[in-house]
Amino acid sequence: MIKIEHVNKRYRTVQALQDFSLEIPRGSIYGLIGPNGAGKTTLLRILAALISPTSGKVWFDDEEVSTVPSLIQRKVGYMPDFFGVYPDLTTVEYLEFYAGIHGIPYQKHARTVNDLLELVDLSSKRDELVETLSRGMKQRLCLARALVHDPEVLLLDEPASGLDPRARVELRELVRTLQGMGKTIIISSHILLEMAEMCSDIAIIQNGRLVVSGDVEQVTSRISGGRQLEIRVLERGADTVAALKNMTAISNIITSEENENLIQADFSGDDRTLHYVLAELIKQDIPVVSFAPRSSGGLLEEVFMSVTEGSSPS
Amino acid sequence: MTFAALLTKELRLRLRRERSIWVIIIYLLVMGLLGFLFLSRQNGYGGDVLSQVGGQLYILLSVVQLVLTMFITPAFTSTSINGEKERQTYDLLLCSRLSAFSLVAGKLIAGLANALLLIFASIPLFSLVFFFGGVSPQDFIKTMLVFVVTAIVAGSFGLFCSTLLNRPTVSTVIAYMFCVIWAALPWLLTLLLALTFSFGGQQTVPLLFIWNPIIALVSTFPGGGGVGTLSIAHHSITPWRTYSVLSLIATVVLFVLSMWFVKPNPVGRLRSLRKRFTLQKQSTVTA
Repeated sequence: MIKIEHVNKRYRTVQALQDFSLEIPRGSIYGLIGPNGAGKTTLLRILAALISPTSGKVWFDDEEVSTVPSLIQRKVGYMPDFFGVYPDLTTVEYLEFYAGIHGIPYQKHARTVNDLLELVDLSSKRDELVETLSRGMKQRLCLARALVHDPEVLLLDEPASGLDPRARVELRELVRTLQGMGKTIIISSHILLEMAEMCSDIAIIQNGRLVVSGDVEQVTSRISGGRQLEIRVLERGADTVAALKNMTAISNIITSEENENLIQADFSGDDRTLHYVLAELIKQDIPVVSFAPRSSGGLLEEVFMSVTEGSSPS
Repeated sequence: MTFAALLTKELRLRLRRERSIWVIIIYLLVMGLLGFLFLSRQNGYGGDVLSQVGGQLYILLSVVQLVLTMFITPAFTSTSINGEKERQTYDLLLCSRLSAFSLVAGKLIAGLANALLLIFASIPLFSLVFFFGGVSPQDFIKTMLVFVVTAIVAGSFGLFCSTLLNRPTVSTVIAYMFCVIWAALPWLLTLLLALTFSFGGQQTVPLLFIWNPIIALVSTFPGGGGVGTLSIAHHSITPWRTYSVLSLIATVVLFVLSMWFVKPNPVGRLRSLRKRFTLQKQSTVTA
């Protein structure tokens, strides 16, 4: 587990992080969300030991980072928000170089590089110069580079930035595979929908302060006051609204002006209660066509906008 | 292991560039052309004249080689570290297990390898001199030593500039300025202070020239080049010897400084070191 305790970071006149405390569970995919200049990259750079906090401590399991500086090099793989590649090296040479400077014995280079290229699906590009790779491929190569020493923790700064939809999906799948391998992944991203789909936990940061953190579902329900339901019926929209009004778990019912058969409502309760709501509508013979909680991505956007007072996400 | 990985990468990148081969070609062409022009202007090749021609050709090639070494070597190292920052790969090096020593040594050796390649590539041109005579192999070895030492100092200063300054253009300009000042300052001061010093007499070289590459080179020419010796603590020492020793010291100092500046926040680290030292001193006094 990573524990960030009362961390402050000041750059001359700018307070980048203020009394920032956060606990990141082992094996989670933790999303850092915040507007431009919120302090996400500063936090990731502190976790990568590239900068030291002005005050406060960072713990990796039971070891405090400043007392064991080599700990970070061993445990953390960092992928910044830029490629950082040597265009004149081939893909294999590029990974072999990073394997070498991470202290991996020469005899293990070939196997490590082959495994990584297979993982990020770049085996067919092994002898290509890095400069000839597409943006998505470069991003995957950088992810392979961050994994070269098999770190326990991965820090990904805006990994999906500038990628086309296909490359984003591939990256998301890759991140999930890595989580399956037991790695803790900390991601900062501005694509909220993707963060909601990918992350198990999120932290929203604004002006260097932690606004809210925790499990994605918990955060969204805490801020938005519960999940939102979207119900579409074939007919009898008015009857549906009447039925929903009698249910305690449902509030704030809104019907679309153009289509009275499309109903939105706030829902508070667990999945069992949700099942009860659907069962009740079916029991009343209401022809339900679709019954779905709104995607957490959409909710996350609302949560983000409400807690960051309208600042645009970075 | 980390050092070897960095050195391999550096040599791969440097030698893969098309520019590298052009630098070698142009370097040898310039030297060869000057040698050819010099020989084509000679009227006769007989008796004592032959060894004189050899000596003069040797001086010409050596001076050209020194100037080229001083002006090419900084280019190989003065963008080593800030170039990584510009390429945005510096952070990735810091995240690795690469120590400050390995980083600086790897970059310096890779840069110097290029400069030494040029120096050694010019050896066949110098061998022309032996065809004419007038220069002993010992003189030649001393001259080569001055070239190598000059390349090491110029390279170390270039590398130091690249750790200190963030912009590659600025660090390159500063490194070149250093080379000009290094070679020309004693001569300027001699003029300004109206000191008398000329080639040809068996005299004492002013201490101003104790670390001057030109005087060091000339002192390796046959017969000591006529520059005389330095007088240090009643001992007469030939300038190329003091030059080599002082260059070694300068290289060590520049290397250590580069190691300090190559890691982030050098000022903050110095403050915390001083703070730790003060606390340690206080606790010793209290005890």
